[in-house]
Amino acid sequence: MTITDPTPTETAPITDRRRLVRWPQAWRRPLTIIGGVIIAFWVIVAIVGIFWTPYPPLGQIAPRLSAPSGEHLLGTDSVGRDVLSRIMAGAHVSLPVPILVVALSMILGTALGAIAGYFGRVVDEVIMRLTDLVLAFPTIILAMVVTAALGPGLQNAVIALLAVSWPSYARVTRSLVLGARGSEYVVSGRLMGVSAWRSLTRDVLPNILAPIVVLATMDIGNAILLLSGLSFLGLGTVPPTPEWGAMVSEGVEQFSSWWIATFAGLAIFSVVLAFNFLGDSLRDALDPRAQKSVEGRAV
Amino acid sequence: MTAASPAAGPAHDPRQEGAERWWQRFPLARYVLVRLVVSVLLIWGVTLVTFVLTNLVPSNPAAAALGERAASNPDTVKAFERQYGLDQPVPQQYVSYLGRLVHLNLGQSTQTHNAVWDDLRSAFPATAELAVTALVIAAVLAIVLGLAAALRRGSILDQVVRVGSLIGFSTPTFWLALVIFYVFSYKLGWFPGSGRLDPQFDPPPQRTGFYTIDALLAGQIAVFVNAVEHLVLPAFVLVLYTLGILTRFCRTAVLEVLGNDYVTAARAKGLPRSAVTRRYILRAAAVPILTMIGLTFASVLSGAVLTETVFAWGGIGQYAYKAATTLDLQAIMGVGLLIGIIYVVVNFIVDLLYGVLDPRVRDR
Amino acid sequence: MKRLLTTIVAAGLAMPAFVACGGSSSGGGGGSTLVVDDQFDLKSVDPAREFEFTGNLITHQLYETALTFKGSDVKKPVPGICDYTMSFDNKVLTLKVTGKHTFSDGSPVTADDIVFSYQRVQGIAGNPSFLLDGVTVKKVDDKTVTLTSKDPNPQLPFILPNPSLGIVNSKVLQKNGGSTTAKDSAEQFLNKNSQGSGPYMIDTYDVQNKVVLKANPKYAGTKPAYDRIVIQNVQASSQKVNIQGGKTQMALSLGPDQVKGLDASKTQTIKGASTTTIYLWFNMTPAYGKAASNVKFVQAMRHAVDYNALLKLAGDGSVQPGGMVPVTFLGALKSDPNNSYDPAKARQLLAQSGYKGEPISILYSNDVGFGLDDQAQAIQAQVKKVGINLKLNPQPSATSLDAFRSGKSQAGLAYWGADFPDPADYLVFAPGQSLAKRAAWTAAQAPTSTQLATAAGQASGDQARDAAYQKLQQQLNVEGPWIPLFQPVDLLVAATSVKGVALNPLWTVDFGSLTK
Repeated sequence: MTITDPTPTETAPITDRRRLVRWPQAWRRPLTIIGGVIIAFWVIVAIVGIFWTPYPPLGQIAPRLSAPSGEHLLGTDSVGRDVLSRIMAGAHVSLPVPILVVALSMILGTALGAIAGYFGRVVDEVIMRLTDLVLAFPTIILAMVVTAALGPGLQNAVIALLAVSWPSYARVTRSLVLGARGSEYVVSGRLMGVSAWRSLTRDVLPNILAPIVVLATMDIGNAILLLSGLSFLGLGTVPPTPEWGAMVSEGVEQFSSWWIATFAGLAIFSVVLAFNFLGDSLRDALDPRAQKSVEGRAV
Repeated sequence: MTAASPAAGPAHDPRQEGAERWWQRFPLARYVLVRLVVSVLLIWGVTLVTFVLTNLVPSNPAAAALGERAASNPDTVKAFERQYGLDQPVPQQYVSYLGRLVHLNLGQSTQTHNAVWDDLRSAFPATAELAVTALVIAAVLAIVLGLAAALRRGSILDQVVRVGSLIGFSTPTFWLALVIFYVFSYKLGWFPGSGRLDPQFDPPPQRTGFYTIDALLAGQIAVFVNAVEHLVLPAFVLVLYTLGILTRFCRTAVLEVLGNDYVTAARAKGLPRSAVTRRYILRAAAVPILTMIGLTFASVLSGAVLTETVFAWGGIGQYAYKAATTLDLQAIMGVGLLIGIIYVVVNFIVDLLYGVLDPRVRDR
Repeated sequence: MKRLLTTIVAAGLAMPAFVACGGSSSGGGGGSTLVVDDQFDLKSVDPAREFEFTGNLITHQLYETALTFKGSDVKKPVPGICDYTMSFDNKVLTLKVTGKHTFSDGSPVTADDIVFSYQRVQGIAGNPSFLLDGVTVKKVDDKTVTLTSKDPNPQLPFILPNPSLGIVNSKVLQKNGGSTTAKDSAEQFLNKNSQGSGPYMIDTYDVQNKVVLKANPKYAGTKPAYDRIVIQNVQASSQKVNIQGGKTQMALSLGPDQVKGLDASKTQTIKGASTTTIYLWFNMTPAYGKAASNVKFVQAMRHAVDYNALLKLAGDGSVQPGGMVPVTFLGALKSDPNNSYDPAKARQLLAQSGYKGEPISILYSNDVGFGLDDQAQAIQAQVKKVGINLKLNPQPSATSLDAFRSGKSQAGLAYWGADFPDPADYLVFAPGQSLAKRAAWTAAQAPTSTQLATAAGQASGDQARDAAYQKLQQQLNVEGPWIPLFQPVDLLVAATSVKGVALNPLWTVDFGSLTK
């Protein structure tokens, strides 16, 4: 057990449903608006990218390594593909995949954490030591070894990310459940003869959902960074599929052609920033204490 | 904890009603002991996980280490497997690995042909120098910024710090490293782009393994300056990244303290602002902040993997990457173990600190 | 900032020049330091164990070989430590020590050292051991050694200059764990204390970062112009910065795209034909190759690839060989109409092959350079135009090599670097031989090629060998699973102050023959 657990005394379950009413106010903050606009922008770009890109993203049609110009706004890459088109098409991987990863690890982590927190004792000890074990590895190195074991490819990168990202959910959930378990409404429910499972899913989980959602929002940025980091190391998507991290990695080889890495990197940065802006505002609105555990992890 | 021995309490009469066991009398000792056992188990778990994972890789390490001609010759393959102990059954490999571990023998790397222990010993100080430098700078800045922002909650400064720290940890380290390298080394030529020293310098005589400190100890000012120049860019990348995380945490930690009654009371007593800040706020926030800094060390090591690749830093990160992509089993195990031990030790210290400071924890 | 720090040092200490940049500061006894940037693939500098580019580069400077090559010419072996005569049947090669050669401890090089060095390479069973497969090494007298091969071995004189066959000081080595069996434990010793008769010896050795060589005071030949060589492990991007800023005098890892825009007044770019062949291969056993195992399909691929476009991608100086043997070698095929871009013909052959557009998985290593990632994507786009559907399968070499060697992969993009500059090194591509096993291509499937390969291996005399190897390659281009694509260009960038730079495909550059 480490400091990343908010101790139960700190974390009162959110029973005050009136807080939800304050959402609109949070949405009106500049950070939220900026984050929302950026994400909306990328969603539109991704949707447009399905139907139209300036050039085919896989088409090797232009002179290679030409600098940004009127014809190719963001230049071309080392086999003569339009960088702008590839960034647009890259949004099809770099946006949904991390969100999927976060959703899956949220489900997995929350389930394990809830079980650990609610049932305690041996189950708790085993699950928590497992999270310790995962957290004892630097994320990127563990993900590297997992993808090495499974072979590169998007599917395996997702599995690797899943393997490294569930523990933070498990930990937060566990500590929240620990807090909620002792509260009167849960105890009285159990006294009334409600089964453990029912009590967990009906009484406990809904009340701890808000901080988990905050954690997940903040974690999307992390997942984008991790996925692009893996692709950067050549362990993510398989070419010729456009992906932002892989494009940055291509820029390392072609370092004289600054435009390849710069714009792809900016794309990653802007999306991550937007999700972090949103997550930050959400946290303020919902739960000011859930943040600590997200921030201990890194790319 | 020698005090944990039963003989340590001679004045205690065991016949008394409700005779206590030693661990009930020394809850702190018991707490330490349990943590220690858990830590050792965790380290063992780390070796097991790395071993299983690396053996899951559907490939033969000989393929990565042997040339095309040598790989076609069964004798050469056999000789290779014998040399690296790969001819034994997998479970036995693990047992003999643990056996060797007791003697600090981590096996031999197929990539460098060195003992992994020696490789780690030369690579770790490089990473540590980078990580410690970055962490110290980031920690100092983070405490100042976090404190200032929290004390003036809602002010322009607070907003700037908040957005700034979000930007800090939203930046992909590998990309930032690349951009920084491109601008300050490739285009402007202000800083050297790779390695820890210019080629004309020999590393200073090794004492700490930190080139900067060793150079100062040896009185080699020119080497020191050069080492600092090499350190600037990669450290900057890591500082920017870590700063975001730490500043946010410091701000929150201080805000939590500010909400306490005793701070309000101290202020109400009319104590000067600076005194309240120093004596009450900083002191109370110090423990969580220090532990957070300790825990960030592990994530800085992670960030170093990607940064080192760009700046050819020659540390643990680069070593790990090379080991993972070339299936250098012993080296992967070595790195996993090293990082695992660092994490476990830091956590152990953190837990201890909490146990000492917060009696509720050890009673649980 | 950089300037500021440097000024502080200069002002505060009035340091004597601690920077010894080649050419610019040659003060003192005329010696100076040469700084070389390379991307290390270094594992060892024990000749009997190393078989990497960086290992060859360093070992070549430390150890003389019995025979050697001069400059960049690898077509003619010349005497190193020895002179040689080859028996008429190409089975017995006699080496005779000529001139004066002394190890770094001052003792002379004798036949004993040669025998020990060769037997050690054989006995260790390491990467370079195959160089002397089937060869019996025997001492005749103090100056004479015979190498007797089981089969005709006309390529042996081309093998002996390999840096892995460097001659080590047998007496010193035997005292330090050296042996001609698998028990040998002299590697760590050799990494710190080189035991050769070359112009340089090891000063410091850090396998991951930097190797420093110093002049061998006992070297019997002409004293080298540079008495200290620093070889450091540096990323390509920084290599460009370093050489342009005058911090280093040589950059070995810059690619064709990266040497563009270098300042010609400060740097010289030396181009050489590399001896690496990049090729496509297809599994010839239907169980693994599926549609790709059809010869007609492979032939369609031969005409679907736009070779000139690939050459453009590979950079100026790269060439398309007619067969697998590099164009500079004996027996090379200059060109072959069977490997030419002709989409119409490709479509026609494809129709005959019965290919229905099923995906063909192309395995390749994405961490070995040669721009394989770009090349694979270019080929994918090219052949799509005639209706061939390639699916790329890039992997780190740790896993891709194993998949390749299993002989069960469908198809791939691979490279073959010459182990020695002789076409005999390419017999492995003949049906049933070691490389052909990767493509599950057996002798029974291609009797004509098998016959031609046997004939080529037994041919004697340059002319006959030349003709026999060409004939073999023409046949391989008809029924074989290999499509030779291109030989990349070898590039070396050096400061203009460094003179006499020759690019050698085996050991990159000979520091001993550099001048100022």
